[in-house]
Amino acid sequence: MAFNYDKYLRLEKMPTLWCWGCGDGVILKAFVRAVDKLGWKQDDVCVISGIGCSGRFSSYVDFNTIHTTHGRTVAWATGVKLANPDKHVVCVAGDGDALAIGGNHTIHGCRRNIDINLIVINNFIYGLTNSQTSPTTPQGMWTVSQKAGNIDPTFDACELAIASGASFVARETMLDPKKLERVFIKGFEHKGFSFFDIMSNCHINLGRKNKMQSAMENLEWIDSITTPLSKYEKLSEEEQLNMFPTGVLKHDTEAREYCDMYEDIKAAQQKSVAKHLVTQDQFKKKI
Amino acid sequence: MSLMKAPENTPVWVDTARCKACDICVSVCPAGVLSMKQEPASTLGAMISIEHPESCIGCNDCELTCPDFAIYVADKKEDGFKFAKLTDEAKARQTAILENNYRLPENYGK
Amino acid sequence: MATREIISTGNDLNAIAAVDAGCEFFGGYPITPSSEVMHTISDLLPAAGGAAIQMEDEIAGIAATVGAAMSGKRALTATSGPGVSLKAENLGLAQMAEVPMVLVNVMRGGPSTGLPTRVSQGDVRQARNPSHGDYRSITLCAGNLAECYTEVVRAFNLADRFMQPVFVLTDETLGHMHGKAMIPTVEEVKAGIVPRKKFDGNPEDYRPYECGPTEAATLNPMFEGYRYHFTGLHHDGKGFPTEEITTCRKLIQRLEDKVMAHTDELELNEEFMLDDFNGEDGEVLIIAYGSVSLAAKEAIRHLRKDGIKAGLFRPITLWPSPADRIKHFTDMTKNVLCVELNIRQYTEEVERVSGRLDIEGLYKVNGRAISPYEIVEKVKEVF
Repeated sequence: MAFNYDKYLRLEKMPTLWCWGCGDGVILKAFVRAVDKLGWKQDDVCVISGIGCSGRFSSYVDFNTIHTTHGRTVAWATGVKLANPDKHVVCVAGDGDALAIGGNHTIHGCRRNIDINLIVINNFIYGLTNSQTSPTTPQGMWTVSQKAGNIDPTFDACELAIASGASFVARETMLDPKKLERVFIKGFEHKGFSFFDIMSNCHINLGRKNKMQSAMENLEWIDSITTPLSKYEKLSEEEQLNMFPTGVLKHDTEAREYCDMYEDIKAAQQKSVAKHLVTQDQFKKKI
Repeated sequence: MSLMKAPENTPVWVDTARCKACDICVSVCPAGVLSMKQEPASTLGAMISIEHPESCIGCNDCELTCPDFAIYVADKKEDGFKFAKLTDEAKARQTAILENNYRLPENYGK
Repeated sequence: MATREIISTGNDLNAIAAVDAGCEFFGGYPITPSSEVMHTISDLLPAAGGAAIQMEDEIAGIAATVGAAMSGKRALTATSGPGVSLKAENLGLAQMAEVPMVLVNVMRGGPSTGLPTRVSQGDVRQARNPSHGDYRSITLCAGNLAECYTEVVRAFNLADRFMQPVFVLTDETLGHMHGKAMIPTVEEVKAGIVPRKKFDGNPEDYRPYECGPTEAATLNPMFEGYRYHFTGLHHDGKGFPTEEITTCRKLIQRLEDKVMAHTDELELNEEFMLDDFNGEDGEVLIIAYGSVSLAAKEAIRHLRKDGIKAGLFRPITLWPSPADRIKHFTDMTKNVLCVELNIRQYTEEVERVSGRLDIEGLYKVNGRAISPYEIVEKVKEVF
């Protein structure tokens, strides 16, 4: 039998509301295959998504799911994980959700190195709300908020994650779903903050307005701006400016994970609970 | 929607209720197995069709790249399925499909 | 009720109460004058096996708190006016998704940065509707040190009962007041914990948001075999987004009615020296809450000594307001004086429920407390 996704789906919600050919569906499948290979029990997994097309991700999968406010997935996940350190927490957010409004929370999730997984579905645009510029929209592209061509510079989300302290950082694209599945497995297994920049196609709200009508044309464009890390390192500085390296860009197995460090605090506090409280019992002992 | 059931002795099969006619599986197939066909009742006026299953090499690219759980490929190990080898004829057919707006030339217009 | 004596501050009592009431998570951010709640709870909570975290901003603080609450834990956050403004969006999500949690607002001078180290009661109107849309806020207001403890305990039980955020308002005066209080023993508090309702049938049959029109949702903790969906969008019985016209109408109406049909479970007032009120001329009804009520009580003792029959009506649950009880007293008393550290925020509610527009007021918004003598002077001036 071919891989049966049905066990992990909320079948009553199918078909998805995503456009035909949207990368979100392929990422969802790779995610489900990864969870299945890792043997995670559905009851032990919490999937938290933000606002946007990728925000609907959580309603399609049969785990404990939350659809939060715009940009706050990582902060939400921090609460769920710290309160339930032995469970698996996965965040799914778009490029605008995680890097614009949620930029601060992404930075600090990385900094704390808490064991949650953030999948940024980077389609270079605000898709659901119809083509507004996002922090990763290439300069010059047509968007509704900058019809004369986007002037906003972009940045490399993986470099942000690495600088902020995430201990696992990877970038992949929609072109090779098997690679996607493998990188998810690696990142999910990793104990620490796992950051995934997954470049995806939005041919409806980015491509169509920028001379890339079909899903495949968008994917070919993504292919043209990405290259595996080993090849990227051999490029000149000028060539590197317009390319993104793919693969696992950082994998630090030494860095201590946040909940693990928090156990130290629990142990320390259990030994010496706040001494400044004076209750009647202690009062009596003093006398 | 029920669980997908693998039909007997079939390399690749589709659930047309889930297909959104995005053309991606047709784009990635190396062997010209798939084609879009006209389907007035569907949203985009098109639907996936398995035209040459005998050419299927079992690479699984169509299943992996389908965003909507619509197309599945038999498992080499579990089903013991014997897939075809990739022939030049199949490759040429695929090129023709891609040049013909994801449709088999002989089916175009049907 | 078994009690014990404790010497502490209002902020510390908030923290101690939360831990005693079974709180397992705190997510917060430093803001004067509430930071000490975080400082104390970050020692107490891990010692009790829970987790407290200082997040990177106020919004992250509430996000982490609601996340932990969604996962099934009793969760607390503490802040002041500017923090509530920042937290508003996520408070709305907690209302909409029916997530129980407690927010302590140690009020300070506002608006905006205002007077960070000085007292006010300027967030009363905000507590009624911090976030957009239709819903009913439950807001409690501590009026003395002991209530800084007991109101937080009550807030956790009310949050689990009504499945929504509950606000506990204190203010800088109470937050930083250091003194003696008689509070219930830990055993009393533990015996009084009423956790949220749980569904224990077949997971296939579980419909978290399907309930009677005046009932709260039944949300099982996560990771226990009952999987469902939380969202801020309008949702159906299983929690999935929907735009269906009947479902949407019923959901919002239920968010309103689940509170308003059960105000008897929420109402708590103090009626100080009001037993001898019977509609005579010359009676003076003072309406005040929070730390101002301490001055009001002292003022009332002075007025009584001077032969003026004065009494205090102190709502402890501010929202929904104790409309019937307020009207009962305003109907029989000609002279009504509202005393607040804001401009008419609760006075307008008193006017609304009493139907009277001749209510006098003593208001202060410069960050200073109102003294008993100011109240005495005002009473003598206007009545």
